[in-house]
Amino acid sequence: MIQMTGVRSDLMEFFDTKKHWGERDVKVGRAWKIDELRLKSNEDLHKLWYVLLKEKNMLLTMEHDAKEECRPFANPERIDKVEESMNHLEEVVKERNRAYFLLETGTSGERTGEEFENWLGLPEYRQHEEYPVPKEQNKEWYKAQEEIPTSSDYEKKKFYSMLRVKQRKDARKGISAQRASVHETLKNFPDTDLETLRETAPDLTPVEFDKIVERVRSTNWENNEIPREIKMWNGQFVRRRQMTWKKKYGH
Amino acid sequence: MPNYLPREVKRRRVRFTTNRPWSAEFEKQNQFSHRNRVYVQPIKNWLFFKGDRVEVLHGRDKGKQGLITQVIQERNWVIVGGLNWHFRYIGKGEDTRGMLVRSEAPLLVTNQVSLVDPSDDKLTKVEWRYTEEGEPVRVSLRTGRIIPLPFAAEETHDYKDPTSYLENESKDTKAADVEAITFDPSLKTFEMEIMEVMDIKEDRVPKKSYFY
Repeated sequence: MIQMTGVRSDLMEFFDTKKHWGERDVKVGRAWKIDELRLKSNEDLHKLWYVLLKEKNMLLTMEHDAKEECRPFANPERIDKVEESMNHLEEVVKERNRAYFLLETGTSGERTGEEFENWLGLPEYRQHEEYPVPKEQNKEWYKAQEEIPTSSDYEKKKFYSMLRVKQRKDARKGISAQRASVHETLKNFPDTDLETLRETAPDLTPVEFDKIVERVRSTNWENNEIPREIKMWNGQFVRRRQMTWKKKYGH
Repeated sequence: MPNYLPREVKRRRVRFTTNRPWSAEFEKQNQFSHRNRVYVQPIKNWLFFKGDRVEVLHGRDKGKQGLITQVIQERNWVIVGGLNWHFRYIGKGEDTRGMLVRSEAPLLVTNQVSLVDPSDDKLTKVEWRYTEEGEPVRVSLRTGRIIPLPFAAEETHDYKDPTSYLENESKDTKAADVEAITFDPSLKTFEMEIMEVMDIKEDRVPKKSYFY
């Protein structure tokens, strides 16, 4: 199924064939799709993995060599294609093993993990590690746990409240940006499809969105145009934003 | 020593231009943050592809037809080959005259350009519809004729179009080999099957280990 070169087993296997040396263009096909790999037997996948691994090693060597010699490396996207294929292959193998373990033992057979509260008071996921002795007998593990920084409940609360303030501020910023975007888009392109525009502003409520649409459509932008900058008595130019502020607060 | 760390203030929001995002010109255009934000009309179903015949509705070449050479979807732009162009100097300095080049200006797909019906070469409104086989096609609303996707739209950096791709003999797997089904399901893990195939026998019982 897979084309293989003869086994040379010397260091020159880290380099491309001489035919491709110094070429500007080495065109290759696309990466393996995951659906194609699902058709292959475990033996084929095993072989293909090493073909891909050798190819990746070869490409990385060639890239390094090109860098050393200050030459362009032909088609660097080949590395991405190989890596994508390898990721897909690994996924297929995991899928098959997961199916076996679920059928036989009822668990996925993969490494377990747990969610715990870290020293900042935030939830964090951790994969379990393998030890030769149980937790109760493992003095080293307990010693290592003591070295992890801790914080009091007060500190955690304080940190969390400040984090929430930051998150709320960011959310508000996002909403106002969306509001501005809807307003300006409608102003510049009055025939925009409203349903598509609504999808670009998911954080706005329908009522709020309709209000913006009504406001933009009721304004005659051509005749009743507000000047961007206005000259004041002392010769200074004041921007429109300040004028609205003045209108709002009356001074 | 200054009491601050060296920082580079970058623009958070890039402004897409006719220059390609990885080019030096693009970087230069996006160095400073004083340019106003561009608002782009959202388009649900994109209709314009490289190689399409379009009629220009705006500018000095109004009414002329040409082929799309470039699509910049971030700005709703298309560039029509040989139309809507102007002269411009490149590399003009105090003591250099620069070079006069002809450059094509982009056109907005929403109102400055229109697709052309292939049956009578007149402009028409177009919609995406489905054939009975379930394939999406562009249909001219005036005549009901299908507007096929141009070959140029399928071009990638690997091939001009997928049928003309020549296989790399030493690198590519043959199409027949890719499609061949060799999977035979059995109640074994990947490792168990490989050990069986490679004739590896393992009778040792691993020592008990704990995960936490």
